[in-house]
Amino acid sequence: MNLTFSPQERAFRAEVREFIASHLPEEIRSKVRGGEHLEKDDYYRWHRMLFERGWVAPNWPQAYGGTGWDPIRRHIFSEELSYGWAPRLLPFGLSMVAPVIIQFGNDEQRGRFLPRILSAEDFWCQGYSEPGSGSDLASLSTKAERKGDVYVINGTKTWITAAQWADWIFVLARTSPVEKKRQEGISFILVDMRTPGVSVRPITTVDGGQEINEVNFENVEVPVSNRVGDEGGGWTYAKFLLEHERTGTAGIAACRQMLTLLSELRDREGITDRRFDERLAEIDIELTAVAFTEMRVLAAESAGTRPGPESSILKLKGTEIQQALTELALDAGGPYSDVALARNYFNFRKATIYAGSNEIQKNIIAKQILKV
Amino acid sequence: MDFTLTPEQVLLRDGVARFATNGFSNGARHDHWKQFADLGWLGIGAPEDAGGFGGATETLLLMEQLGRGLVVSPFVSQVVLAGTILRAANRRDLIEDIVEGRRRFAVAYEERGARYDPSSVDVRAEPDAGGWKLSGMKVRVLDPSSADSLIVSARAPEGIALFLVPASSANLARTTYPGEDGHDVATLQFDGVVVGADAVIAPPGNALDALEAGVDAATAALCAEALGLCAVMLETTVEYLKVRQQFGVPLSSFQALQHRMAEMYIELELIRSMTYHAAMTVESQADAIGRKRDISAAKAQVAKSGRFIGQQAIQLHGAIGMSEEYKIGHYFKRMTFVERLFGDRDYHVRRYLAC
Repeated sequence: MNLTFSPQERAFRAEVREFIASHLPEEIRSKVRGGEHLEKDDYYRWHRMLFERGWVAPNWPQAYGGTGWDPIRRHIFSEELSYGWAPRLLPFGLSMVAPVIIQFGNDEQRGRFLPRILSAEDFWCQGYSEPGSGSDLASLSTKAERKGDVYVINGTKTWITAAQWADWIFVLARTSPVEKKRQEGISFILVDMRTPGVSVRPITTVDGGQEINEVNFENVEVPVSNRVGDEGGGWTYAKFLLEHERTGTAGIAACRQMLTLLSELRDREGITDRRFDERLAEIDIELTAVAFTEMRVLAAESAGTRPGPESSILKLKGTEIQQALTELALDAGGPYSDVALARNYFNFRKATIYAGSNEIQKNIIAKQILKV
Repeated sequence: MDFTLTPEQVLLRDGVARFATNGFSNGARHDHWKQFADLGWLGIGAPEDAGGFGGATETLLLMEQLGRGLVVSPFVSQVVLAGTILRAANRRDLIEDIVEGRRRFAVAYEERGARYDPSSVDVRAEPDAGGWKLSGMKVRVLDPSSADSLIVSARAPEGIALFLVPASSANLARTTYPGEDGHDVATLQFDGVVVGADAVIAPPGNALDALEAGVDAATAALCAEALGLCAVMLETTVEYLKVRQQFGVPLSSFQALQHRMAEMYIELELIRSMTYHAAMTVESQADAIGRKRDISAAKAQVAKSGRFIGQQAIQLHGAIGMSEEYKIGHYFKRMTFVERLFGDRDYHVRRYLAC
């Protein structure tokens, strides 16, 4: 066993750190540090800087513009982004739809969509959940009826982050009625948000945020060539995407940053209570345990294992810690703090719900790992 | 970054696993020390020129398997704790004695009211006719019955020192009692125990560092034992719930119980991670502050997660889990002491904060 970073890995870390320090605009950095809402242009500018450097798609194959980094380097890169208070790039294009297009799409689709995701010409959003289909995604009822060379899409998708900025949406829709298994007959379809019949309604969250939306499809005509993979094969691609989504949700480096902010907050508020320090230490310790678990998952990935059900641990514990930190910050600041602590606390209640609720993660662990 | 084991490490792990599953079930006690010496296991962590091999990773592999087999062995106290102290004190001669199985050392450092803190020492060492005279009480001395020698911390005029004391010394009263996990423990009363000048194995200035290094290495080893114990508790619980039928279905078909087992699995993986983390920090011979911080983080997490797994293992078994005849309760009892040995969660959270 050798559990340390190699000299090359440490040099790589220094290179990334230097790049972030010298390129990330100060106003974006301070927004991220202060937990402020980012505008589309903030994401766009940072995305472009990483694009120019060739670092925008660490998890893509090199042939399509990826970096060719191994899992450890990707981990170091993502850590440094957090430590440098860089925005986390929106995952819907880069980390969600692109791997599906690469794995299951055709050459025409790869050539058409990937370069524009890479360069941030297109922003994407995710059309999975529906008003009647949350954890039970296979119950979805959005329909795509085939008429000649087009699908006609009707239905409603909801809780869609960044739909108000998006140029494209990937949609899970039923292309044939349920016969035997509900997971069959679902297709994965790419829809231009400017198509007639697509409408976006913002949903304000409890923290006052305007991140999520409902998207309605009313007789939206989409070329059949916008379907990824086989008709009716969408469920397989959807699951593939979710496993990729989960690995990135532990947010360990971001939690470390929140710990730093908490220490500052502690001094600002003049907290000398030992109970507070012990709570902080307990979260810090658990975070160390999760971080080390992530290293084990990464090492397994480096050895060629695909991210499996173990990534559920990272999602589950990572989001619990994120919530514990926002809770402790709220306790530190008290009610009506002049810092956005309550807003952050309210907002982070989402973490244990998205990307497959934590209860769903426990189902996955029970079924796939414990085999009950 | 590489978590793979060398072929030698795999051999060691498999060898210990075979030993631990053959005849060491349900906490049965055997005198296995000669066998350990013959297999070379008493040399784990000792320098190669003293007949030793390996380090904290090998200790981890051995302890995890001893934990799985619920083997009641003084390995942590007499090899890891005593061996690390003697190594820090540069006593190669005594390390060779351990490796060969010739001598066995129990370490007497805890005192009533010290709350696990090795630096809280009231036993006095007074200069006496060219040697020393020791007075005071030590508690919770682990595995004393099989030890012929004691390593004792005592406060000399210049500070804390470590003394080598024969277990059969005059004016030394030993009250030995059995722990509920099958280990034996002693309270030692020193009423003017006389030793020579050469009994000092670590002088003031070096003794506390050596003692703390020993306790930290032993704590890392104990984390590995917890890993083995908890893995078996989870596996046993899952298997039992798949078989046990109530309401006409296996208990494992109920989601409330599935989620509890998923939570146990998550806690087990955190124990595994922190056990590796602890072994790594002992192996890297980091500075004392960094080592203490890492070890305390590991022990605090292992204590928390291990308590959860143990308590839930009993709960999910139901009444059979309370039965003396069934194995789960024995694992639970050992885990309960492992949780607190060398410092409980509260102690380690505070030490983590102080580092």
